[in-house]
Amino acid sequence: MTSSASNLTVGTALQPFRLEFVDPEWMKTWAVALHDPNPIHLDVEVVKAKGLGDRVINQGPANLAYIINMLKKAIPGSTIESLDVRYVDNVLGGDAVEAAGSVTDIAIDASGTRITCDVWLKADARDLVIKGVAVVSIAV
Amino acid sequence: MTVEFPPAPAVAGFSLSGDKPFTIDSAENAALCRSTGVEPAADGTAHEIYFFIGTQVGMGQTVAGLCQVCEFDVEEGPMMGGSQVTFQQPLKVDQPYLVTGEIKSLTRKPSRKFGAMDMLEYELRLSLPDGTPVLSTTNTWALPRRNLV
Repeated sequence: MTSSASNLTVGTALQPFRLEFVDPEWMKTWAVALHDPNPIHLDVEVVKAKGLGDRVINQGPANLAYIINMLKKAIPGSTIESLDVRYVDNVLGGDAVEAAGSVTDIAIDASGTRITCDVWLKADARDLVIKGVAVVSIAV
Repeated sequence: MTVEFPPAPAVAGFSLSGDKPFTIDSAENAALCRSTGVEPAADGTAHEIYFFIGTQVGMGQTVAGLCQVCEFDVEEGPMMGGSQVTFQQPLKVDQPYLVTGEIKSLTRKPSRKFGAMDMLEYELRLSLPDGTPVLSTTNTWALPRRNLV
């Protein structure tokens, strides 16, 4: 279901991007990158103590990265122009997640093709995590 | 019955500009790409999620510091509400970037879950050292104010 600009139409479903296991070990790498040592991403005992469940919580930007991966793979050669997303829920360590989307508008001009998409991320266990709108472009 | 809360701290306009350049480390970019299930690009471009990482790390406050500006203890658990970003050009590894920005608003409102919460909105801009714009982003955080009820 990978798409080129020429075979996209309004309503086209974008090829989903799936990650079968959100590894808590990677959250340590994200914590360093983000300069954010919040222990809810790192220490399950802290998560329990705060009454937030019994699994560490993935960083929100990591969740958004899965949507970006979906866009880049589903529309090869595209450049992301803009994203506008809402964080609705958490992804937990060990979750399986799937990013997906659908085309809502296509505009073609001399510079290329601009494609607007509804995008979302769902966790298998809890449904919607992120939802929003992305605009990508493919230059002539 | 209408519940009256004290006003949110007046922080709109507070500068979040960084004082030193931020550079996307190529090894870190590769590790983060792989953590999300993809290989890093071979052409020197960085993962687009660095719009968030770069502006957060390069702004003039840590997350805890930003919360403190809003008179909020980071231990109370700030929650990401939303992100908007518009790219003017792709992000590249090993390229220094400057971050400028400011708090746009801090709005207090009732919350069914927490009693009260403050919605924090701040804008950050990433540019090349010569001032060429690279991206602008606006993030929204929810700061639960359990102590107000």
